[in-house]
Amino acid sequence: MKHRVRAATLAAAALALAACSTTAPTASGGGGGDDVRTGNGVTADGITIGMITDLSGPFAAGAAVQVTETQAYWDQVNADGGICDRDVTVDVQDHGYDPQRAVTLYRSMAPDVVALQQVLGGPTSAAVLPLAEQDSVYVGGVGWAGSALAYENNQLPGASNAIQAANAIDYMVDELDVPEGSTVGVVYFTGDYGGDALAGAEHAAEERGLQILAQEITPATTDLSAQASALAQADVAGVVLAAAPTQLASLAGVLSSQGADVPIIGMNPTFNPSLLTTPAADALLANAYSMTSVSPYDNPDSPGVQAANELYASADPTGATGWEVPLAYVQAELLRQALEGACESGDLTPEGVVAAFRDGGEVDTEGVLPDGLDYSQVGQSPTTTVFVSKVSADAEAGLELLDQVSGPSAESFSYGG
Amino acid sequence: MSYFLEQVLNGLSYGLVLSLIAAGFAIVFTSTGVLNFAHGSVVLLGAYLVAVLHDTIGFWPAVLVGLAGAAVVGVAINALLVRNLADPNPGTAAILMLGVDIVLLTELTRRIGNQVLTLGAPWGASVVRLGDVTLPTGRVLAAGVTVVAFGALWYLFSRTDLGVGMRAAAADGPTASLMGIRLSRTAATGWALAGILAAVAGIFLTSFPAPGVAPTVALSAFAAIPAWVLGGFDSVPGAVVGGLLIGLTSALVTGYEAELEPFLGSGFGEVAPYVVMIVVLLVRPSGLLGSKEAVRV
Repeated sequence: MKHRVRAATLAAAALALAACSTTAPTASGGGGGDDVRTGNGVTADGITIGMITDLSGPFAAGAAVQVTETQAYWDQVNADGGICDRDVTVDVQDHGYDPQRAVTLYRSMAPDVVALQQVLGGPTSAAVLPLAEQDSVYVGGVGWAGSALAYENNQLPGASNAIQAANAIDYMVDELDVPEGSTVGVVYFTGDYGGDALAGAEHAAEERGLQILAQEITPATTDLSAQASALAQADVAGVVLAAAPTQLASLAGVLSSQGADVPIIGMNPTFNPSLLTTPAADALLANAYSMTSVSPYDNPDSPGVQAANELYASADPTGATGWEVPLAYVQAELLRQALEGACESGDLTPEGVVAAFRDGGEVDTEGVLPDGLDYSQVGQSPTTTVFVSKVSADAEAGLELLDQVSGPSAESFSYGG
Repeated sequence: MSYFLEQVLNGLSYGLVLSLIAAGFAIVFTSTGVLNFAHGSVVLLGAYLVAVLHDTIGFWPAVLVGLAGAAVVGVAINALLVRNLADPNPGTAAILMLGVDIVLLTELTRRIGNQVLTLGAPWGASVVRLGDVTLPTGRVLAAGVTVVAFGALWYLFSRTDLGVGMRAAAADGPTASLMGIRLSRTAATGWALAGILAAVAGIFLTSFPAPGVAPTVALSAFAAIPAWVLGGFDSVPGAVVGGLLIGLTSALVTGYEAELEPFLGSGFGEVAPYVVMIVVLLVRPSGLLGSKEAVRV
């Protein structure tokens, strides 16, 4: 009996070890005949990357656009010869915006992928990032919250939320005639995204001699009447909004109806072209701006954005256009450059991919992200430059690009300092 | 002073919309003993139907379809699922309703996508000005419609055979059944009424000052839960009082956040309804107007 128990224990332990084990790096290129060291997710003729996204939860529609664009991108890369003479396969999994499911999926995928191009969502990526960091697995596309910058394995697609918000304040003062000494509203979601934006706005307000009136909300707050009345009562000269499209339209509409026609600058995901069909359209066209890390959809001067849009149009001619298209493209582009860097340095392992994007080399996204990205410093935003757009009925996807800016407060902002 | 008045009127008008949803919770609970956690999705469904149909059939016919659609879905949930429960206790039914909510919400989210669908309401973004106070026309209309709806409910429950039957069934189902009241009929009426109230609330929750129909509307409906609970699980008048109290509290705490922040911290407006609910339940465990025998889970 004792033997049987021991045997069973041993068998269970062996099974557990087998389940947890990861492929040890091999120096022979996974049998490929080249001199590249390989590890998880890389074989002699194939590379597997992962994408843990939300195909059944609240962000399903936008996520589907990103999946389509990502697949089209890697199909094209494969058609052009692949990476390191290997075809790239994308393993797309659905976490349904559930952090627990995201962790389970990560655990099951980690032994078979070399990198994760995206873990969509704040709470889901916050659950996966520390585990992936322990395993030295690259994670891209987790949004722009400053908290993600602390992870060496995370590559942020452009400026963080705090940098966007600091730039928003700078832009108000420098370009939109918001006078020194006035009060600016900050309406923000509870959590990483909104908290980071508030930190940037507070820093910039102090630098530029403005007062901040902060209003915290949740995604369930779809009627911002009370917040708008409070902002109008404080006679704010502008509003920084770190929320979602529903909140932008409500705030713009109510402020305008109260005669407070002040600029409202939304962060990355705050605008959606369908808002222009709502009763708030006039107020949005008059007062709303967007301060984004990634170029808007309508950017004829950027070859990268044009390539992204053409790729999407051929993959899904009737698909919804918007900022997700250039975003998904550039996430794939960042990972492609990291994979190629790893290949060139002869280390196509998960660790090699992280080292490749952190090596301080040049990152060129052909205008989808600002030039001069610097990923060599863990803990700081890779750039202080953002795109400023104005809501416009004439622009494709509703945003007309005005400028790229890097304000003095954005440049003086430092995480942890 | 006009600022205070504006926040009070904002809060009361929003509170009346919440009370429509809370009353739906209460009616379903009294007629079938179910904690209907799928109610938020029914709110979204009513608004969604109006948003997708107003272009082709016009706004007012779309409203009728929205109301009817939400009522039919409510009746169907009761007829197909609740009545067939092998173990008809409130806990099982509540979990079943959570499941229904997930299914409905996932399908509606899929259909809505990442769009914000406009409702096409004829009042658009217009506002009513009373002196220095500005109120969205939609909110003034919502207040009027809600008062009329509650008047109609009062008439139904106190002056018609069907309503009296519903009250009898709620008070003592088996005895009401022996007296010739068809419990299936009173239950179906309760679910239909709750569906109609949900759709009306959905229309006002998604028209100006809110921009349109997005999946988060189902979440907003959960703001009515403190109103329902503090009013008393089984009381429609309690739901009205609860809704007004929650609406008023949210508006005032948010409106005076700058003044309250040194004591309460930021974002207290989101928590305030629950604090009010807990305080009320500590003083009156059955809610403001709930009957003491109400079953709790």
